[in-house]
This record gives sequence, C-alpha cells and structure tokens, in this order.
Amino acid sequence: MNTLRKTIIIALGLVLAAFAGISFRASRFLKEPVVAGPSVARVATLGEYFAPIKGTANDANVFFLEGAKPGGTVLVLGGTHPEEPAGRLTTWILAENAVLDQGRIIVLNSTNRSASTVTRPSGAYPATYTIKTDWGGQTFRMGDRWSNPLDQWPDPEVYIHYPSKQNLAYMDIRNLNRDWPGRPNGTLTEKTCYALIQLINKEAVDIVIDLHEAELQYPVISTIVAHPKGLDIAAMASMTLSDEEFKIGMEKSPAELRGLSHREIGDFTKAIPLLFESPEPFLDATRGRTDARLLLEGKDDFVVRAGKRGLLFEKIDAKGWPIDVRVGRHCSTLIQVLSVWSADHADKAVIMTGVPKYAEIIQKGVGAFLHDPAKSDPKKIYYE
Amino acid sequence: MIITWLYYLLVAYVVVLMVWNLIRSRKWQEEVLYVVVLLPFVLRLLRLK
Amino acid sequence: MTSTMSMTTSATVILAAMVAAYVLAKILKLSTELSILAAALVGGLIGGAGIPARHIVEGAFTYLDICLIFITATLFMNLLKEAGGIAFVIRRVVQRFHHRKALLFIMLAVVMLIPGMLTGAGSVTVLIVGGLVASVLGYMGIPKPKAAAIVFVIAGLSAAAPPVSLWAMLTAAGVNMPYVGFFLPLMIPCLLLALATIFILGWKAKPADLDQILKELPEAPPGMSWFKIALPFLLFFALVVAGRIWPFDFPILGLPLMFAAAAAITLALSPVHINVLDVSRRTVHQLLPLIGTLTCVGILVQIMTLTGARGLIAISVVTLPVMVVILTLFLTLPISETVLMWGAAPVLGVPLVLLFNTINLNPIVALAGMSIIWPLGDALPPTAIIGRLTVETVGMKEKYGTFLKYCIVPAILIIIVGTLMVVFSKKLAFLTVF
Repeated sequence: MNTLRKTIIIALGLVLAAFAGISFRASRFLKEPVVAGPSVARVATLGEYFAPIKGTANDANVFFLEGAKPGGTVLVLGGTHPEEPAGRLTTWILAENAVLDQGRIIVLNSTNRSASTVTRPSGAYPATYTIKTDWGGQTFRMGDRWSNPLDQWPDPEVYIHYPSKQNLAYMDIRNLNRDWPGRPNGTLTEKTCYALIQLINKEAVDIVIDLHEAELQYPVISTIVAHPKGLDIAAMASMTLSDEEFKIGMEKSPAELRGLSHREIGDFTKAIPLLFESPEPFLDATRGRTDARLLLEGKDDFVVRAGKRGLLFEKIDAKGWPIDVRVGRHCSTLIQVLSVWSADHADKAVIMTGVPKYAEIIQKGVGAFLHDPAKSDPKKIYYE
Repeated sequence: MIITWLYYLLVAYVVVLMVWNLIRSRKWQEEVLYVVVLLPFVLRLLRLK
Repeated sequence: MTSTMSMTTSATVILAAMVAAYVLAKILKLSTELSILAAALVGGLIGGAGIPARHIVEGAFTYLDICLIFITATLFMNLLKEAGGIAFVIRRVVQRFHHRKALLFIMLAVVMLIPGMLTGAGSVTVLIVGGLVASVLGYMGIPKPKAAAIVFVIAGLSAAAPPVSLWAMLTAAGVNMPYVGFFLPLMIPCLLLALATIFILGWKAKPADLDQILKELPEAPPGMSWFKIALPFLLFFALVVAGRIWPFDFPILGLPLMFAAAAAITLALSPVHINVLDVSRRTVHQLLPLIGTLTCVGILVQIMTLTGARGLIAISVVTLPVMVVILTLFLTLPISETVLMWGAAPVLGVPLVLLFNTINLNPIVALAGMSIIWPLGDALPPTAIIGRLTVETVGMKEKYGTFLKYCIVPAILIIIVGTLMVVFSKKLAFLTVF
C-alpha cells in the first residue's frame, strides 16, 4: 500500500518534470531563422572579437550590412534584454530588409543570447511568441532580462560593478545592461560586454544603438537616453520625431548609474551610445493575465487602472501598446538618428533605405517585413 | 568554472538526501512535498532549467 | 474564463477559487505547503491553463538559490550544535554572567539572534538555541509560556535581521530593487526590540542558581573551545568581506558555498565524531516545511501571475488610500504571513513597495519596517508553524493561548516601531548606507 502510493506520487512528479523539462529544452534550443538581407556583406560571430566567448551561449551572430560608398559605422544591439521583443524584432527587420547606400550597420539580434534561452521563475512568461506573417508566422524565444543560470551560476551575494565598484543587486551580474564595459576574466555576461567593446573598437563604431522596452511604471520610457556626447543627436531626433511621427523624449545618461550601455560605452570607447525605450505593458507589475497576447497586443485593464491613478509615466488606454507600434517607434527613431548623424557628418554618413517607418509598420504589421525562410536561398539563412 | 561544478555537486548531494528521506517517509503529505521540492533540484542537475 | 468577461471579474473569480481551494485543503487537514499548492493547481485549472507543467515547475524554481542558502546555513548550525559548540557557548555565557541578569539577558538575546540572522529562518533559531535558552530562563524563575514567548519573538526578529532577511530579499527582488542598504535599517530595530523583549518579559526573573543550571545543561565535549567556535564564523565573514574588498580578483562563491565552507571547518574542528550524512539528512528533513513552503509559494506566485490574480491584488493595493494601507499593516502583514509565510513578500510586499515608491517614501526603510512586522504572523493560528515549533521545543504544557498572551506586549512594540519606520522612512533614509 505504502509502496504503491509512493510509486504513484513519484511517477506523477516524474511526468510533471518530464513535460516541463521538454518544454524548457524546446524553447531553449528553438532555432530562429534570419534571412540575410540585400546588404548583408558578411556574418561574423561575437567570439571572433574575444576568443573566450567562442562556442558559448553568447557567441551571437554579428551581421555586417555594408553600402558601396564608405561612411560611418553604426552598431545596433537587439536582445540586450530579450524579454523586450520590440528590440529584437527591429533587428530582424534591419538584417532582412535594410539596403545600405553608404556606410555600415552592424546588427546583433541576440546581444545576450543566453538570456533569450530562459524565462523568469514566477514571471509566468510564455515560452515563445509568434509574429503573424503572410506565410504563416515566425516563432521567437520569449527570453528574460537576465542570462540563463545554466550558463552562469552562482550569483554573488552582492554584485560589484567593474570598474566603478558600485554595489548592485546580486542577479544583475547576469544583466547585460548592468555589466558594461565588461571585463575579460569576469562572468559570461561581463565577458560578453567586454567582447562587444572589442567589436566597437576594432570596427571603429561611431554610434551604438541599444534597443529596449520598459514597463509604464518606470520613469525612463518612450525616450532616447543619450550619453552626454550624443545629446545633440538625441535632442534633434526626438524633436523631429515628436513633430512628425510620435511623441518621444530625450534624457541624459546619469553619471551615477553604472554598468549601463548609454553610460559606459560612451566613457570607455569613442562611440556615441544611445538607448531607445518603447512602452511594454507586459512588464508592468500590476499586469493581469500574463501571456503572449499581452506581450504582443499590450492591452491590459489593470495597467489602465494604474494609469488612471496617476501611477504611470506613459499613457495607456484600451487600445494598449501593440508590438507594431513599439517596433515602429524603434525603426523610425533609428532612421531619424541616422539622418541627423549623416547630415552633420557627410564623410561618415550612414545612408539606409528599405526599412519601414512607424506608419508603415502599423499599417502592414511587423510580420510583413519578415522573410519566409522556406522560400529563401538556404545560404542566406542564419540561425539565432 | 570549478565553483559552478561545486554547486552542481551540492545540488546532487541535496537530491540524494531528499530521495533518501522520501523513500523512508511514511506520510503521504510529506512524500508529495518531497517530490515537489525535488523538481527544481533534479531539473537543475539535469541542466534542463 | 471566457474572453468576454472583464479582466477584473475573471481575476476575481480565479482568486476566489484559489482562496476556496486553500480553505478546503486546510479543512481537509492538509499542511500549509500542500494547501498553497492546491490553491495554485486550482488557480491554473479555473484560469483555463489546465495543469501547466512548465509553469508549475518554473514557479518551483523561484527560490532554488534561497533554498540552497537555507540548507547549507542550517547544516552549518546543526553541525555546530552536534560538535557541542552551542552547549559550550550557553554554559560559558551562564558561568560568566549568571549573577548579572542584565548582561546575561543581553548575551542570550545576541546568541538567539545569530542563527536566524545567518539563515533567514526563525525556526533555525528556535531549533538550535531555543531549547537551551528557554531552560536557562527557566532556572531564573521565568515560567515556560513566558520563556516560549521570548524565544518566539526574538526568533522572529532574528529572521528579519540582516544579512539574510528573506522578506526584504524576496520583495526587493520582486521590484527589481538591489538588496543593498538594508543592514542598519534591519539590524538596529531587530537588536533593540530583541533586547526590549527579553527585558520586558524577563523583568521578574531572579539571578540564576549556577550549580543547578550547569548540572542540567548539556555538557560541552572536552576539547571544545572559543577558537573552534569562532573559526568557522570568521571564515564565513572573511569570505564575505574578501568578495567585497577584492571583487575582481576573488572568485564569486555565493552564500551557499560560503556556508558550506563554514560547515566543513566546523566538521573538521569538531572534538566529537559526527555522522555528516545523518546530520545532513536530518537537516533536510527538518527544513522540509520551510523549503516546501518556498517551493509551493513560487508555484503559487507563478500561477497567480499567469492568471492575473497577482495583478488584481497588486492593482487593488496600489489604488487604496495610502493612510489606510499603512495603518492596517499591523493586520495585513501578519495575516498574509500566516497564510503564505514568505510568499507574503512577493504577493503583498511587492505591490506595497510599489505604492510606497509612488508616494515618495524610502522603499528600503519602509520595507525594513514591514520585514520586522511580518514574522509576528508565525504565531497566529491556524498555521502558527513557528509558534507551535517554539512551544514544542520549549516543552510548554500550558494552553497555546497563554503563550500568545505573553507575546502581545512585545508584538505591539514591534508593530509600533515597524509602522513608524514606514511612515518616517524618508527621514530615516540616512540608515541605508550599506
């Protein structure tokens, strides 16, 4: 009797573990195809810039989009926080569609690839999400804010940022946007930042754009955060965008907050870092039912209620913040920044076409700009 | 690297202790609880999560 | 739930079903841990998620690292007890201070604070030193219910005390706030309130009769010494400090490994032979209710997040009038503790801190104030896990209510201090230096 009972209990546990284990594994190893676009001249991996990254979870693809005419170099980072999908989707649109006339754009779709292979305990994130397309749909890993503990474990008792020695929350040692400028003998995430700094130096990057999203309860939202040396670009871009397309703010990277891309890349390299934030109600602590629909449609009654109480830093109504709007904001902001930069630096201009703007993405949907890998030249397909 | 291995070792040790207690347990509630508590330890050990 | 139903209605129905499942499970005499699990499973079913294996197991992962801290820290403490270290300390403290009541009280309070401070669990304080301290108090003429009240209240404070204060850690993690700056806001009230408790409840104590106490306290094994007790603690603190002084040269060990190292030293220095495997096995068994709670609460929080029940609680709390929220903390915190134990932190603590943030209170001091009130719930029926554990460990025969009655005065004191810390958190912000 006892043995039978025990066997049944253990068997039930094993079934639960098996189902969950299969699901974790499936989403961790899900392959996300990128169909290299017309201007992709070559595809490197991050490990080529810093050998210890080679073969690790963070040995991400690096797409080089090159124009015929020489000019400046812009690095676009998607997936610093994979749980902010507008950032990654924007890099897909870039890598698959952008046509470079002058200069170069370097794109990473999975800047912290490790973080894209895991979801947060007690966050109830969906394992994946699917963007509808004419040819069906493309599925992406949901991902998290922090690197996968399977790639970096344990956390310290307190995270001390290199080199400032600022004390940060222990789990933020796995947060790529708290690890800049990174260190060569640090954790995987710190090494990833270090490798990215090597890339920025070696490729003489002029501007780094780090794509993010934020909860509406977070004061830094719908904005361009700029290092002091990028303030004029950010100000000009935000003014033009607010005038012509949508409201977007601009703020200066605070000197006292360490480890962030918009601070450390500016301090440690010649590049100008800019960070874009779009609103993602899915991340709000007051959100209701947590699923892929909320992630992509951005509609939530509870977040709306929080807004009515004046607890939010961005407006929200029943229409929510759909993914098309959020990706549209990132694409238009990027286009605007390139145009402001190129106008002032003719010899270092980066002239790009083929990337849709805000209105067009809202009208056609993000999926309209994703290419069907089944109908593409297999030699042009890369997996994230 | 070595430290990470020590953590897997630690988890393995805890799993052994828990399974041992589970096998010797005579109360069904305790058995269920051991199985639930074992879930994260076992899946971490198998590097599934 | 159908999609036509409003989010509020659907989340309310799900939450009500979860509460009903919890109550029913309790009526059916299920343990608190399994009742929490039952509520989670019912929430998944009613919420239309079926039995979501991925979410259940992912939720179970939430506190894995904290469980490891728990297990290694308690193993360290248990080994120290097996080696005779605890008996040695209590005997020496009594010998040295038996004729000076005030000093003896101070030493006993400190001895009781340490295990909970390091492990984050009041139950560890009760199990490791509770029995011995209660017997010393008994020799001083303090009746058992009163001694139990002293042990329980100080055990609760020891759990809230830094460096490991689970309510503060779990809440801070839930709002993406660094667990930094909590040391003084937690340490000062915990220490002062622990002293106040032992002095208030022990007021009528007589100086102890040394010979009788020493006869009845367990013997410390020959060969035990202050050095052997201090060394593992020194090693532990040295590892913590080294990580902070040389953060870029010293390897990242993490708290579990530091406690494991301290445990290993204790074992190596023990004057008596210890069966490690047996102590480890008993440690895990002893901790089952606690790590079981953490695991089941992780599952519960995940399901509540999945179904929107957590959002409902959060939005309801943050839209309440602030004064009402603050003035009812003395009820909501202990009651949430009774039902969810540490789960109260992510479920209730997180929205409270968000609310306090929006009205410009200092979240660290406010959360520290809340953290000292929370453990009071551990004495409240029906669960009263640590209350019952204390009563059993102390060997009290009187009614549970007698013990509760003695807890009232220190509890009121703790509530007042905790609430004032919330209200005046901004003025106390200077405490958040490390």
